[in-house]
Amino acid sequence: MTLNDENLAALMRATQAGDTRAYTQLLKIITPPLRLIIRRQRRFLQSDQIEDLVQDVLLSVHAVRATYDPDRPFMPWVMAITRNRLADGARRYMRRAEHEVAVEKFPVTFSGDEANMEGEEYGDPEALRHALRELPPRQREAIKMLKLREMSLKEASAASGMSIGALKISVHRGIAALRKVLAKS
Amino acid sequence: MAPDTDQLIQSLAKSVRPVRPLSCPWLRVAGWLALATPYMAMVVFAMSPRGDLAAKMSDWHFVIEQLAALATGLTAGLAAFASVVPGYCRKIIIAPMVPLAIWLATLGEGCVADWLRWGPEGLSLRPDWLCLPAIVLVGAVPAMVMVVMLRRGAPLTPHVTTALGALAAAGLGNFGLRLFHPQDASLMVLVWQFGTIFALSVLAGCVGRFILDWRALLRATRAKIAG
Repeated sequence: MTLNDENLAALMRATQAGDTRAYTQLLKIITPPLRLIIRRQRRFLQSDQIEDLVQDVLLSVHAVRATYDPDRPFMPWVMAITRNRLADGARRYMRRAEHEVAVEKFPVTFSGDEANMEGEEYGDPEALRHALRELPPRQREAIKMLKLREMSLKEASAASGMSIGALKISVHRGIAALRKVLAKS
Repeated sequence: MAPDTDQLIQSLAKSVRPVRPLSCPWLRVAGWLALATPYMAMVVFAMSPRGDLAAKMSDWHFVIEQLAALATGLTAGLAAFASVVPGYCRKIIIAPMVPLAIWLATLGEGCVADWLRWGPEGLSLRPDWLCLPAIVLVGAVPAMVMVVMLRRGAPLTPHVTTALGALAAAGLGNFGLRLFHPQDASLMVLVWQFGTIFALSVLAGCVGRFILDWRALLRATRAKIAG
């Protein structure tokens, strides 16, 4: 079945009646165009973040499926939910960013060097270099600029063309990935 | 398709149960009114209707104000129900502005008439603390029914939706109030009754996200899928 609104509306009507097969088919049909739309509107996000948003929209569609009026077209209904979820996500992100304080250096806890050594140096630089090479290019670039070259978020954003938000996310994900790889090795 | 998304689709499909599609907003307003009216009538009779009610029915000023209050309640209810349906025309949100403007204009005209008739004395303002609890009392059940009905929809515009819902319930509450509360001086009605409705709507709008929230809705959905 294709992305024809009448077909989709028929599948949605069957879904409202509790038809599992029709629902699976409907969700499988609408997922690729949803992913495409979200990717176009959120170009700065990485593919796993895009996938998070796709899943959020699918879950929202499921939660409010009773609001679909069987006499009305299907795609405008889905698109209204998608737009709303994207806007809601952006608002939440902005609120979080407003309360976030970028800290370049963490304050020391004690004056003694021993107390502030943890996490500052890694014992095997070769393994770290290797792990860095394994990272996706955007994460690697973000870590190099912000952590190794100690650039500010503004400078790194100007140099890479990535937004400050995307840089923060890339660094966060990159460090999590490094931690995982290094823990294994 | 990413494996996680594929897995989610399977879980969603597995947990799907038949749902009754929401009726169109007009029918939902009718249903809401059908539940709210008996309660309102009960409160009006419990408080005993005002003695001059029959005479007031031939006072066009009173009749227009009452009709405007009722129309504001109904159109606000319609707009609130429409605002929880994805893809519904958003212009309907401004529908209550028309009866609201008529209501305000009538009250304004009444203020001017009182001033022309009695001078500054006609615009004297006295405390009337009965209005707030009385509107809350008459509008309580309509408001609760409204919240339950709105929560069946999608929380697309929580603040606007709850403000409209409160306007609907308070408009209806004010309609009921004037059937037993003999307060007809336009300025008093404007300040104490209209002011109460405005304050309640603003307050409800402020707490909209606590009443209608995607995150709570999705949390419950995830729990249902997992269960």
